[in-house]
Amino acid sequence: MSHTLRVDWPNCKAHGLCAEILPEVISLDRWGFPIVHEAVGYDLLDLAKGAVKACPTLALRLVQKPSRH
Amino acid sequence: MTAITTVSPPPASSSIAIPPHPIVRNEVGLDPVVSPGPALLAGIGDGPSLEAHRGRVGKSPWPSAEQLIKMCEAVDLRGRGGAGFPAAIKMATAHRRKAVVVVNASEGEPASRKDAALMALAPHVVLDGAAAVAHALKTREVHIVVPSELPSIGFGLEKALDERLDAGERIKWQIHDAAPRFVAGEGSAVLELLAGRDNLPVTTWQPGAVSGYKKRPTFLSNAETFAHLGHLARLGPNGYAAQGTPAEAGTTLLTLRGDGWDPVVREVAYGTPLSDILTADEMNQPLLLGGYHGTWLKPEQLAAMALSRIDIAAAGATLGAGVVLPLAHGWCPLVRTEALVDYLAGQSARRCGPCMNGLPNLAEALRDLVHRGGPVGPVEELCGLVTQRGACSHPDGTARLVTSMLSRFPEEVDLHSLGECRGGQDEVAP
Repeated sequence: MSHTLRVDWPNCKAHGLCAEILPEVISLDRWGFPIVHEAVGYDLLDLAKGAVKACPTLALRLVQKPSRH
Repeated sequence: MTAITTVSPPPASSSIAIPPHPIVRNEVGLDPVVSPGPALLAGIGDGPSLEAHRGRVGKSPWPSAEQLIKMCEAVDLRGRGGAGFPAAIKMATAHRRKAVVVVNASEGEPASRKDAALMALAPHVVLDGAAAVAHALKTREVHIVVPSELPSIGFGLEKALDERLDAGERIKWQIHDAAPRFVAGEGSAVLELLAGRDNLPVTTWQPGAVSGYKKRPTFLSNAETFAHLGHLARLGPNGYAAQGTPAEAGTTLLTLRGDGWDPVVREVAYGTPLSDILTADEMNQPLLLGGYHGTWLKPEQLAAMALSRIDIAAAGATLGAGVVLPLAHGWCPLVRTEALVDYLAGQSARRCGPCMNGLPNLAEALRDLVHRGGPVGPVEELCGLVTQRGACSHPDGTARLVTSMLSRFPEEVDLHSLGECRGGQDEVAP
């Protein structure tokens, strides 16, 4: 079962901490909002959990399967 | 602005005296002309009263959830709000303790009028379906969301509900007014409205049928879907399949030219050739199918096309909520798209970053391309940047519209980059 990061878009305020912690998976667009590039591999799981915890607006979640929403 | 919706006589039939029925519209656009149809709109000539409705169809049966789910599977009934989700799956998912039913008649898109027409002219067709679903899911709680910019829909509904109450129906109906904006009709926005918060989309972590209104299993569907459910519950799969093709049973409501000068709402059976509902002139014009979040089609794609989900999907489009927008003669599809994207950018709820920033930028890049001979690159890049990055599909739908414009009309795009426009003339078949 692979994990993926999902953004709660209305709550994301482009602080950009997630991209600092997990540049392997997340980059920022020209306005500072995250672009989630791929599923989170097992080796990055702890960092991904750290990114979720670091979000000041709690707008990032680790979910178990890739999905649209 | 107040106007009157006229009910035109059925195309092929004789002289049925049909009284005009008012719909008040104070927003943009004119009221549609609605013709009686083969199934849902069969009785609109008799007026919207419960008495006339019962006189025509009799009492509605109440099948069990299992029976109703089987019927939905047998005719492959899909939701009519745009996404086309299978009704059977939604109902099976919502069929748990403390389920609740939500009828979404809010229809945020200005080019769609079919739900307003259905609610105004045949409210009991919708309410019978909602009652049948409520009974199947063993709940008495039904919420109905109506468009606040069309107060007559709410008034008509109150009257219809009073009639049902007097007839002894024991359902707790509640009416809610949706905000007059494009994204207010989106499923999560409707659940927010019911919860007493702003009528805007939010991120959902689970489908509404799993956890919706007050975290209860919520069967939320479009008004037309409920009308079909009621029709199906009454006739059974065989009776329902009397309309349509062996592959696609039943009928669908269409809004033709919904934002134009002569809007029409029609009910047609699946499999009806497109040439039966469009004029010969319109068949030779580009067609925007599925509304402002829809897909452009070229005239040569229309010739053999039927109103069928299969045919339309094969052409790389979807019927969406049944919005059919032929391009007016002499218009350029690029100019039309640019105007639509400008409107859609303004309809953003401005809550999700990529949509709030991306859509105005996309509108500007497209204006640059269409009116100032600007490059295509930024338009394509912005379409990519807004897709799948929001709480609702508003940015996705807008990007889909633009992407289909780029892929269907590459010659026009080239011309515009040279500062020329042939007003869609090169799209007209010889």
